Amino acid sequence: MNTHPSRPALQGALDALPLFIPALPFAFVFGVVVAEAGIPELLGWSSSPIIFGGAIQVTLFTLIAEGASVGAAVSAALIVGARHMLYSVTLAPRFQNQPTWFRWVGAYVLIDQVFVLSQINPIDEPMAFRRYFLGAGFTFWTLWMIFTALGVVLGPVIPAEWGVEFAAPVLFVSLMMAASNRRDKLASAAVAMGVTYSLAALPNRTGILVAVLVSVCVMLFATRKSST
Amino acid sequence: MIALAIVLTGIGSYAMRAFFIFVLARYTFPPILLRALEYVAPTVMAALVISMLTTPEGEIAAGLPELLGLICTGVAAKATGNHILALVAGMGTFWLIGAII
Repeated sequence: MNTHPSRPALQGALDALPLFIPALPFAFVFGVVVAEAGIPELLGWSSSPIIFGGAIQVTLFTLIAEGASVGAAVSAALIVGARHMLYSVTLAPRFQNQPTWFRWVGAYVLIDQVFVLSQINPIDEPMAFRRYFLGAGFTFWTLWMIFTALGVVLGPVIPAEWGVEFAAPVLFVSLMMAASNRRDKLASAAVAMGVTYSLAALPNRTGILVAVLVSVCVMLFATRKSST
Repeated sequence: MIALAIVLTGIGSYAMRAFFIFVLARYTFPPILLRALEYVAPTVMAALVISMLTTPEGEIAAGLPELLGLICTGVAAKATGNHILALVAGMGTFWLIGAII
């Protein structure tokens, strides 16, 4: 881990590249969902720059395809994306010594992978942090624009029996291990898995948010007990 | 109507990402909150993995290939710290076990 990269923007871009490989099949899943919802290709793709969040985009179009109202589809999609509020809180201290323009632009590329990269490569120097964040964020952004366009045009070209969507949980296990650099963090992940499973039937994946809040409180309580 | 839904979701998802960055811009974080925030990354990733492996009804949507694939991913990620190797290990195990059974 290099916490003081000499070329932070380049380092961010390079760190983002391997994390995009598992997002590739997701871009094609997105294309299939848009096609099945009968949404014009360009309109469907426009959600990539406007929303920039794979799971949010897929949820929105899946519900529209099922005939949900605009209000129901939008609120379900936003609940699926509600974890981004936790990213916003978590990164708020790092954005305090940053210029206002970066708060506006940085928030736009604050996605799962960029968040985890900023957590596992904590850069203290404000300008280096900013360049690393933007390097990673806009590398991911550019690739997502290109591959969701391909996904929408090519649609279901990847045979379903390959199971390439499995790359998504694989990526998140890998990110989880990278973010669990201490034993108590690994324990927090284990707690979160159990709680999420027990809440898996909650509508619109609300369980994700509840599980994170519950496991963070459990860990605060557990580590307080052991340290006193 | 679809365009309206896309724009509303775009505004909403941007607002969720930007909200606390702006609201907490001048706020001094108490130590307990900073300690709590350290657990956000591992727990969100863990919660996402489980939610990808369960149906909206709460049933497990994964078999032996998925389970072994994710265990190999975790071991490879911990041992190497390399996401590409972890991906190869996880997908390789998933495809291999899937082909055998």
